[in-house]
Amino acid sequence: MNFELNETQKNLQKTMAAFCQKEILPGAAALDESPKDQAVAALRTNLKKLGNAGYLNLLLENDLISHGVAGEEVARACPATFLSAMSTATAFGVPLNRFGTAAQKGKYLSGVTKGEFIGCLACTEMDAGSDLNGIKTTAEKKGDHWVLNGSKYLVTNASIADALLALTWTDRSAGLDKGLTFFIVEKGARGLSPGKPMETMGLRGAPVSEITFDKCEVNSDAVLGGETGRGYEQYLQIMEYVKLAISTLSVGLGMACMEESTRYAKSRKAFGKPIGLFESVGAKLAMMFTYNDLGRMMVSRAAWAMEQKDPESVVLTSCAKLFTSEAANEIADLAMQVQGGHGYLKGTMVERLYRDARFAVIAYGTSEMQRAVIAKDSLDRFKSA
Amino acid sequence: MDFSFTDEQRMFRETVYRFAREEIAPLCEEADLKSEFSFDIWKKMGEMGLLGLPVPEQYGGQGADFVTCCLAGEAVGHAGVDGGHTLAWGAHTYLCAANIMQHGTEAQKKKYLPKLATGEWIGCMGLTEPGCGSDAAAMTTTAVRKGDKYILNGAKMFITNAPLSQVFVVFATLDKTQRHKGITTFIVEKDFPGISTGKPLHKMGCRCSVTSEVFFEDCEVPVENCLGGEGLGWLIALGGVEWDRSTLLAPFVGGGIFMLENCARYANQRWAFKRPIREFQSIQNRIADMKVYLEASKLAVYRVAASKDNGMALNPLYAGVSKVYMGDKGFEMSSAAVDLFGGYGYIHEYPVERNMRDAKLGQLGGGTSDIMRMIVARIMMM
Repeated sequence: MNFELNETQKNLQKTMAAFCQKEILPGAAALDESPKDQAVAALRTNLKKLGNAGYLNLLLENDLISHGVAGEEVARACPATFLSAMSTATAFGVPLNRFGTAAQKGKYLSGVTKGEFIGCLACTEMDAGSDLNGIKTTAEKKGDHWVLNGSKYLVTNASIADALLALTWTDRSAGLDKGLTFFIVEKGARGLSPGKPMETMGLRGAPVSEITFDKCEVNSDAVLGGETGRGYEQYLQIMEYVKLAISTLSVGLGMACMEESTRYAKSRKAFGKPIGLFESVGAKLAMMFTYNDLGRMMVSRAAWAMEQKDPESVVLTSCAKLFTSEAANEIADLAMQVQGGHGYLKGTMVERLYRDARFAVIAYGTSEMQRAVIAKDSLDRFKSA
Repeated sequence: MDFSFTDEQRMFRETVYRFAREEIAPLCEEADLKSEFSFDIWKKMGEMGLLGLPVPEQYGGQGADFVTCCLAGEAVGHAGVDGGHTLAWGAHTYLCAANIMQHGTEAQKKKYLPKLATGEWIGCMGLTEPGCGSDAAAMTTTAVRKGDKYILNGAKMFITNAPLSQVFVVFATLDKTQRHKGITTFIVEKDFPGISTGKPLHKMGCRCSVTSEVFFEDCEVPVENCLGGEGLGWLIALGGVEWDRSTLLAPFVGGGIFMLENCARYANQRWAFKRPIREFQSIQNRIADMKVYLEASKLAVYRVAASKDNGMALNPLYAGVSKVYMGDKGFEMSSAAVDLFGGYGYIHEYPVERNMRDAKLGQLGGGTSDIMRMIVARIMMM
């Protein structure tokens, strides 16, 4: 038993921290405030930088603890950039890498790791989130190609994506287990139209939009892995990676809040001393540290379980996601309270992070869904006797 | 990183769990109802080797590492043993014997450890006083050197095991003006002249451990019973924190697992509105939060233990985190378990009632949650 990072991971942490603080952090506020078209240009630059730094490639490798180590630094500098990078590398690149045919991997992955080719994952619809049975998008075989109809909703990166992974019904009657299929749909495909980015409360640098398939035609080699009916099984595995990534986003965001408000608590004085020396303020700093520290361990623990192919990883990634995302909101709230009126102002880091944090408890399975999954596991273990 | 236990550690946990469930747990409910320490339980724990777990084999113990000690604590709690008996065990083994093991002279170790390791002698530790707890520098129990003896005067409060103990590890000050640097530790025996214990205090929870005040009236302690050297008491107390934040918290982790299992069973069995209550999301939410709490708690406890086993200095932030989270969240979860059981949860026959009373100690003993936050904040503000 050993809770320490190895030397490679420690070095990675240092390198990524220095890189992100220098290259990503300075643009984070502008990314949040800019009109969407300007933000997109800056975001593309960030993704290329992360590609050059080797981060996007790292997300396709198997050392999942390092995903967390490096990812925390990206999220600490700019959660919106983290989300966009995660959407292309983890939500698009990882499934390609794990399930894709040799030709599919060869075609897309090198661009993804460089940050030049942007991908995204499109599962959610207007009327279907965690309940995949509600999905309406279909794919029908016509000759040697497939025709997709339907629309996807709240898709991060959709408006800037060069390709997306779309979850569709290839056989509704076969049910979840055999009826769903992921298709790789490239930008410019006939009948594919991404919507304009929607205005979001937080993570404003990462564009989110609708995307519509209107008799959208793709070739038969667009089926992820080359075999239909594997969508649900693939989806479940993708979700583990994604839950882990949102947990990492939450810890990085929490760290940024804690550091910012600790700096403030040291420099701001009241009644003759730094406010952090007042017990009520200090207690808030202490709780921020506690949540981040435990949360980071839960992310590592879940990542380790995934690396070990431990079936517990399904529940442990949910535990990590639930704990860290709720903690991030609590931490952002405490951080704003420590900074008083200053943290309430537009343009301050804490105000931005407070809005960003709200995403984490909603996306990729709400806290309510995570609790349902976790509870079912414990309850089923004690069903009889 | 490696979150796995060795096969040996896993097997040991299983053995202890089975033993505690079959031999000890059935005695606990009645003992708790009577607020009675059970020598029967104590003897069984001694025979199992639990009372001298970390003590080297040459002094009659098992020579177990920190992680193994924590696993044993977790297993006993998981088996359903009450917080009183696990607390008595903790105070004896980790606050008394472990301090002698770590700081004692060869003669002290030879004299005290073998009998403590078997449980033939019971031990305790006295740091807290009627007027001071975490503010140890405010300690008023004094020690004055007179020839080949120290003379102790003062009182200690909330001392777990005191009325049962043969061996007391006691903190006193040689010079109050030196604050922390004046604090010195002594091994005091029950039969030394001038030491006495008060009546057992009636506690909210952990009722089977016997807790009382200890009085020193010109208590004579031979010089060779100074533990660790003059003025080093504060360092000894701080060193105890790594036991406190791992091995003493481990039974709370086990108690939490026991609680979750009881809740899960009950939620499957109890019906309302024509369905098992497990189908209600309010019930599920409590179960899920308990599971998350347990996962986080295990990590907090075993990180402290593993870093000690791997030869690393204790990070005081990690120690504070373990304690504040497990104390506060643990109590919240124990209350959620009572809610889940409804009226039955309020009744003594159902273990969640006892668990809630026992869990309250997690927020108080060994430094309150408020103090933990102060410590963490102080380091952050440096």
